[in-house]
Amino acid sequence: MIPHADALLKPLRIKSMVIRNRVMSTSHAPGYGVDGKPQERYQLYHAEKARGGIGLTMFGGSSSVEVDSPATPWSQIAVSDDSVIPYFRQFADRVHDHGARLMVQLTHMGRRTRWDTDAWLPVIGPSVRREPASRSIPKEMEPEDIARVVRAFAAAARRCREGGLDGLEISGAHGHLLDQFWSPGVNHRSDAYGGSLEHRMRFGIEVLSAIREAVGDDYVVGMRMSGDEMLKGGLTQDECIAIAETYAGRGLIDFVNVIGGQARDEMAHAVSLPNMAFPVAPFLGLASAVKRAVDVPVFHAQRITDLATAARAVAEGHIDMVAMTRAHIADPHLVRKLADGREDDIRQCVGAGYCIDRIYVGGDALCLQNAATGREATMPHEIPPAGTARRVVIVGAGVAGLEAARVCALRGHSVTVFERDDRTGGQVNLAVRATWREALSGIVRWLDGQVRKLGVDLRLGCEATMADILLCAPDVVILATGGDAILGDDPGSDLHCTTRDVLAGRVAPSGSVLLFDEMGQHNAASVAELLATRGCLVELATHDRLVAQEVGTTNQPVHLREFYRLNVVTTPNVELTETWREGNRLVAVLRNTMTGTEEERVVDHIVVDRGGVPDTTLYDALKAGSANAGQTDAHALIAGRPQPVMGRIEMGDYALFRIGDAVAARNIHAALYDALRLCKDL
Amino acid sequence: MRWLVLAEMACAGAAVALVWMVLLARWLKGRPVGRSWLAGLVLVPRRYLVDVHHVVARRPRNARMHALAAGGLLGGSLALLLGVLPGMPPVPGFIIRIVAIVFFVPGAWGALIDRARRRPHTPSQLSGGAFVWLPVALLAWCVGNVVVALSVSDTGLHAAGLAGLALALAGGVALLVAVGRGPMRHGLAGIAWLTGHTRPGRFARAGLLRPFDTALWPLDLVHERLGVLTPRDFTRPELASFDACIQCGRCEEACPAFAAGQRLNPKALIQGLSGAMRERPAPYAGSPAPHAPAMPGGGGMDAEIVGQVLAPDTLWACTTCRACVEECPMLIEHVDAVIALRRGQTLMKGAVPAGAEQVLRASREQAEPGGRALDARTDGIAALDVPVLAPGEETDILLWLGEGAYDLRYGRSLRALVTLMRKAGLRFATLGADEVDCGDVARRLGDEATFQALARDAIGVLGTRRFGRIVTADPHAFHVLKNEYPALGGTWVVEHHTTLLDELVRDGRLVLAQRDGPAVAYHDPCYLGRYNGVIDAPRRLLDAACRTRVEVERHGMRSMCCGGGGGSPASDVDAVTRIPDLRMEQVRQSGASIVAVACPGCTAMLEGVTGERPEVKDVAELVLEAVVP
Repeated sequence: MIPHADALLKPLRIKSMVIRNRVMSTSHAPGYGVDGKPQERYQLYHAEKARGGIGLTMFGGSSSVEVDSPATPWSQIAVSDDSVIPYFRQFADRVHDHGARLMVQLTHMGRRTRWDTDAWLPVIGPSVRREPASRSIPKEMEPEDIARVVRAFAAAARRCREGGLDGLEISGAHGHLLDQFWSPGVNHRSDAYGGSLEHRMRFGIEVLSAIREAVGDDYVVGMRMSGDEMLKGGLTQDECIAIAETYAGRGLIDFVNVIGGQARDEMAHAVSLPNMAFPVAPFLGLASAVKRAVDVPVFHAQRITDLATAARAVAEGHIDMVAMTRAHIADPHLVRKLADGREDDIRQCVGAGYCIDRIYVGGDALCLQNAATGREATMPHEIPPAGTARRVVIVGAGVAGLEAARVCALRGHSVTVFERDDRTGGQVNLAVRATWREALSGIVRWLDGQVRKLGVDLRLGCEATMADILLCAPDVVILATGGDAILGDDPGSDLHCTTRDVLAGRVAPSGSVLLFDEMGQHNAASVAELLATRGCLVELATHDRLVAQEVGTTNQPVHLREFYRLNVVTTPNVELTETWREGNRLVAVLRNTMTGTEEERVVDHIVVDRGGVPDTTLYDALKAGSANAGQTDAHALIAGRPQPVMGRIEMGDYALFRIGDAVAARNIHAALYDALRLCKDL
Repeated sequence: MRWLVLAEMACAGAAVALVWMVLLARWLKGRPVGRSWLAGLVLVPRRYLVDVHHVVARRPRNARMHALAAGGLLGGSLALLLGVLPGMPPVPGFIIRIVAIVFFVPGAWGALIDRARRRPHTPSQLSGGAFVWLPVALLAWCVGNVVVALSVSDTGLHAAGLAGLALALAGGVALLVAVGRGPMRHGLAGIAWLTGHTRPGRFARAGLLRPFDTALWPLDLVHERLGVLTPRDFTRPELASFDACIQCGRCEEACPAFAAGQRLNPKALIQGLSGAMRERPAPYAGSPAPHAPAMPGGGGMDAEIVGQVLAPDTLWACTTCRACVEECPMLIEHVDAVIALRRGQTLMKGAVPAGAEQVLRASREQAEPGGRALDARTDGIAALDVPVLAPGEETDILLWLGEGAYDLRYGRSLRALVTLMRKAGLRFATLGADEVDCGDVARRLGDEATFQALARDAIGVLGTRRFGRIVTADPHAFHVLKNEYPALGGTWVVEHHTTLLDELVRDGRLVLAQRDGPAVAYHDPCYLGRYNGVIDAPRRLLDAACRTRVEVERHGMRSMCCGGGGGSPASDVDAVTRIPDLRMEQVRQSGASIVAVACPGCTAMLEGVTGERPEVKDVAELVLEAVVP
């Protein structure tokens, strides 16, 4: 049992609403909104957290109150007309059925959005100042605009109440319209809404007063805001505290939800959504400072991924509600597991930022290590037992093999896993060796713990042969053998080594290193940092427009920051075409993909990352004897039906499947999804 | 010859009477109890032959030994005395002497059995010293007197008779010493103790009004001496009870603190208290309290017991589980003695262990031994929206949450119980933030003042609400509310949750489907089983819920404590091992994979056992798993 766990499981009363415990999920936009409405997928995603024991779940990050704050970016929710109310009602019922509270965030994004979508209206703001992140230049709001937006906030609040939601918060964080007015760097107005802090606070006061009038005194209305923008020309900590004090003191808000920093550009955004490179709870102090100044409950999120930290934050009185938003994406049953004394079963968020990074490229939020999150309609968070117990042999105990073993064991099958290494984890064990990527090891640690707890026959240090496998008399054989690194076939590629060689310690480059990356992922970027910290002079070259191009928006800035700090030279838009040895050094030819011109580099080592390729030896051996010729029926897989071959398996037959990188090199999520999706129906 | 024999028997009788007078005089220095000795005396034969025998007979060999030796000794001696009385006609005299022989021969046999118990080695729970030569003395008395009985005649002396007489005399003298200072004292002291037994209710188990006389009696706090500091502070029967100890060691075998290597051996404790009455006590030749420092011992009626006879830790190691009491063939009340001594230490000297002091202060100042906020007690069931009963309001069942409600693990059990009560459609409520601690821990730690203050508060709170009955999942609260509050003016129907659930299942308001699964063993909470005799209800529930139930070797009335009672954990006494570890090992031996519990204390203690072990689940949790929706 973690210390102070009781502090987390204590109810909180706000006005007449009682939240059953102190753990919540903040409003965010998982990209699940359809036509501006929270429909089934969105609702099930939150209902799962409610089922998992969460006290309060807030949805609809940046839900817009007015048409010039379009809902399309990040697939958000539009609360700008009454058509959303029935969805709110259905949503509230689904969450209330499990005893949790449900709230929404309302906002007007002001300049922080796009004009080239939805209604194609110009974006608006307190002054004509461009935001680096959105790159939009707003129209300066006229008094009529202000009055219109205030009315829109009040109408949207009424819709929340009519929709049966337990409350709402308005966003004055991350550079939305409210804090655009507050921030002296953005608000250059000379009327009653600009100038002194008192004037800059006026817009928000009008918004909250109108909301209060629309929803009444007993309805819970809160506000999200920064505790310190940590930005020259931005809001200082003193100003933030003054704002919180003023709004709370006037009785306009019933809680304040504090973040640290802001999100005006790439790095600020990465800081405000801290990934695994950051310490846990980096901005708890800012929330704590607000807590000291106000009489209303204080909520706080930002990389509080473990319950021990969460419990400490509440027990020590820094905050009243601890938001574990990404922690719930990794494990929506976190609170119930705590209350049931099953902390060891909690799949802890590792801070990979995969969920949020997908949203910022227009995708849907998915968890790097939990393939069921966001897929509640089709993927189970709790695996039901199978009708027929089978004998399953899995080869490879990387994350795909472990997940397959976990799911099969929960299905009630008898599972044997062969792993040639003396430990589980596969390629992830390599990834964790590179500087700040270490936290990825949490994915393996959890899977390994679960698999052992479930009594899976784990044969480590045992390279499976066809004979070994058949000796187990399996009904199902799953190959999760991962893959090997591709070295490439350009002239002189035999002189290269791969990022895996570096991480595995097979080579230890020194001196000058050319690192050529064709994947744009963490692999090359993190190896570049690793080599640079070891004293190498590193040039990271890539075919892409930018190094680490595939790395998402909360992670890529961290890599870039590290490159600048470590003097890693980055060279985009080149291809490595040829290498030869000259003395004890290597000469590489880099061809510019835009101009076609070639440059040479004389370096001590060349490291490449060209992705991976499966070793199919075992598959080829087993394929002929299998009842399904090694084929996974994709239609059955997608439809959530058992694989057709399972109906045909008789004594002595086996079905053969491949998952993860053993089919084709992809990523951790793909490997886990392959495993869960296949095995849940075996 | 006849005269010689008569003199022998008369001297023996007189000497025994004299010794008894001396003992009585010492016991009478204790506090009077205000009960009629005569009324008690009338009950002694029944108490001896039924109640004492009931306990002794749990070990048939010992019972046989005792019946033979005691019967042979008393019957033979009495018959021989009758047989040699002046004026006894020859023929009946001869027959009576034959009867004496018929008694003495089994008596000798009994002595041999007793001797055999210590051969080849004296078992650790048995005492040595005088106990080693007692069978020899008994044998000498019996064999000598058989010879004497055979050779009695009016004609004069002859060699065989004299030799027998000498043998009997030697045995007799030794027995007399044993009566005064040794093993045989238990006979005389036992009669006195059974006459004035402080818990007469214990002798009326068969279906009478209060079959389990286990409640502590309230202490009059307006008194210049509270509790026990010196032997004189004990009541007269209690003093006799210490002398009644026969050092059979059954308490020692049952004591969880002793097993865990804490400084408590109930046998040594009682012997110490017996010795405390005397300036020069007889040497004690049994196992001592483990690792206890050497104590000077003795001291007399006015010497302080703690420090002179007992190490302080000895007192605080007791979990008040009553296992020793349950095992004692002399029906001695060890736990009452411990509590009396703790009351002296706590109330007169303020000498409590640091951990216990904290608990007592929190109980006193915050009405909660853990010092936790009263309004946090309902946190664990907050998600279930259980109504809170305000003053003047009415409900069917008042759910008393107890101290366990604060514990996260135990919250699961409470939630299971509340869920089951909901499913059964019961109308119930809690006292919310108005529930104060029932005072159990304070009382067991000897702080009667705090207990009575808490009890007054609790009775006051309960008195302003109307309800049909109180249900609690905490056997300690159950015991205190049910058995100890009436003496302070609070009388309600109080039930343990297993009793309620059993009722709901039997009435068909909860339907259970027996679940296949690993074997379940039930661990009886002391305050539910031994203190209150609730043994069957939890087992019936488990049988309805689980396919396979096994018993731990020590179960029911003779179950072993988890180590969590009596404020012992708070006192934090040094030990070699942990009591719950020992108990869990016993559960493991039973082959169970789940240990079913019914007490927050047991849950906490057993959940604290590390490593691979059976899973701990409250009966309510197992019932909930089996309930048909």
